[in-house]
Amino acid sequence: MRPNFYLHLHPPTIPAAQARWRYTLGAGGTAVFLAFVLLVTGALEMFFYIPTPGEAALSVQMLTYTVPFGGLLRNLHFWAAQWLLVVSAVHLVRVVFTGAYAPPRRFNYLLGLALFVLVILFDFTGYILRWDQGIQWALVVGTNLVKSIPLLGEAFYQILVGGAQIGAATLIRFYAWHVFGLTLLGAGVLFWHIFRVRRDGGIAIPPPALRTQRERIFHFELVRREIAAMVWVGSALLLVSIFVPAPIAPAITEITAAASETHAPWFFLWVQQMLQWGDPFLWGVLAPLVVLLALALIPYALPQPAPDELGRWFPKSNRMAQVLLAALVGLVILLTLLAIGSKV
Amino acid sequence: MPAMRWTGEMSQITRRSFLKVSTQALLAASGMLGLGALLRYLGYQASPPPITQLDLGPASAYPPGSRTLLPDVPALLVHTEVGFSAISLVCTHLGCTVEPTPQGFACPCHGSEFDPGGLPRRGPAEKPLPSLQVEQDAEGRLILHVV
Ligand code: HEM
Ligand code: HEM
Ligand code: FES
Repeated sequence: MRPNFYLHLHPPTIPAAQARWRYTLGAGGTAVFLAFVLLVTGALEMFFYIPTPGEAALSVQMLTYTVPFGGLLRNLHFWAAQWLLVVSAVHLVRVVFTGAYAPPRRFNYLLGLALFVLVILFDFTGYILRWDQGIQWALVVGTNLVKSIPLLGEAFYQILVGGAQIGAATLIRFYAWHVFGLTLLGAGVLFWHIFRVRRDGGIAIPPPALRTQRERIFHFELVRREIAAMVWVGSALLLVSIFVPAPIAPAITEITAAASETHAPWFFLWVQQMLQWGDPFLWGVLAPLVVLLALALIPYALPQPAPDELGRWFPKSNRMAQVLLAALVGLVILLTLLAIGSKV
Repeated sequence: MPAMRWTGEMSQITRRSFLKVSTQALLAASGMLGLGALLRYLGYQASPPPITQLDLGPASAYPPGSRTLLPDVPALLVHTEVGFSAISLVCTHLGCTVEPTPQGFACPCHGSEFDPGGLPRRGPAEKPLPSLQVEQDAEGRLILHVV
């Protein structure tokens, strides 16, 4: 048969140890599924969404309240987007806590991290598309943070905003990034990432000589598990989307007028908390970049997991990486809780 | 490597590696040019430059003792016995609009507070809220200069 991408990902048999739920949590596969849901629901939303300051919030209201199944469609897109962020974070945590980033998978770890950043950018640009009072300050603060970068900030700001201040040019740029630019980049990196999983010898387990378990599963069983996961996740997503609506707020009348929502979107609350401490560039740009850099260096700067300890949780040999990641995750959660608790 | 002797060749670079290096150099150069063009393209300012002054209408509409919120500037226009003055309500930290409070102004985004004159009382903002210039033209209309 002609080789194709599907068969690349689904060889006739694989070691059973590579496809245990308890090991992978199915998080990577779930993320692929959610990305696909986002592509389809997002493409359908484009038939109603109007990316101009005057119409954007109204078109989202129309989509939500009058278009048949429009509200459901929007909720599906919204919840799939939030879940994708959570699921990729869970996947990242599992990769580090199982030491699966060890060579030869170091490069694929970086590709994964790039996907993680792309998902955050997707979530932020999508959130801005609502163009209602809920997003107003996040847009102002986010773009002004870009401006705070020494030397390059002003140029980056103009490229991002499309003018000296936020306006119609800004919305259309965020829209272009959200539905096209990021989609193109994301699709490319996503294919590369899952192509590399098989290229690197499938999901990390000990090398053949050190394996204790010899069992293998067939292609059919792998696909059965994938479909089962899609059915479960898909049903849960549908259920939540039927009962829990995505947030919506009154349209923005004037970008400078007081807005109802003063909290950043939930995934940036930890940054908002740090911004209270002073210098915007230091706390709003450098600090998050340092967190990202620390994540990127895990496979390169810390002790490597031992080959015979692969394929299970918490190998002793990569304790340092586990401690570092736990500390970072704990810090982000703590800052988020502080931000939720504070009155601003 | 044999001793260097004039063999009639111009240099040690083979034709193949010369072609390879020049192809790479050409690719790199056109890549940089393309990137430069893309950045200039994206850097174009599609929206018109923001207005620098605003006509607030007849000065008589703002009696002495009045404090008027101008939400779309945003600014607060104050008329005292000394005359007109205006203070910008754009937080000097990261640009949210501050709200007037009994003690001055407070920012909803990261908690900065300013005194009634616009001086920062509590961080993270470090710079004062700028005062904006107000003047009356010949017909008695108020002109606000938005910097
Ligand atoms: C990883 C992929 C994606 C993520 C994380 C994502 C995230 C989001 C989020 C959070 C919103 C705001 C939802 C709301 O509050 O209503 C949104 C809106 C939107 N997205 Fe996406 N999106 C993704 C992919 C796409 C794609 C591929 C398209 C188009 C082909 C698209 C088109 C749209 C449109 C038109 C809206 C505006 C309608 C609305 O706000 O409900 N999205 N997206
Ligand atoms: C949208 C985001 C992502 C998608 C769709 C995705 C997809 C996948 C899939 C389908 C696998 C196969 C194994 C599994 O399901 O666990 C995988 C493995 C892997 N991913 Fe991701 N991933 C994403 C994000 C990340 C992130 C954030 C990282 C880490 C920084 C990462 C690093 C890895 C590594 C190192 C492997 C190989 C694991 C092993 O061999 O055990 N990925 N990814
Ligand atoms: S924008 Fe006012 S405190 Fe940050």
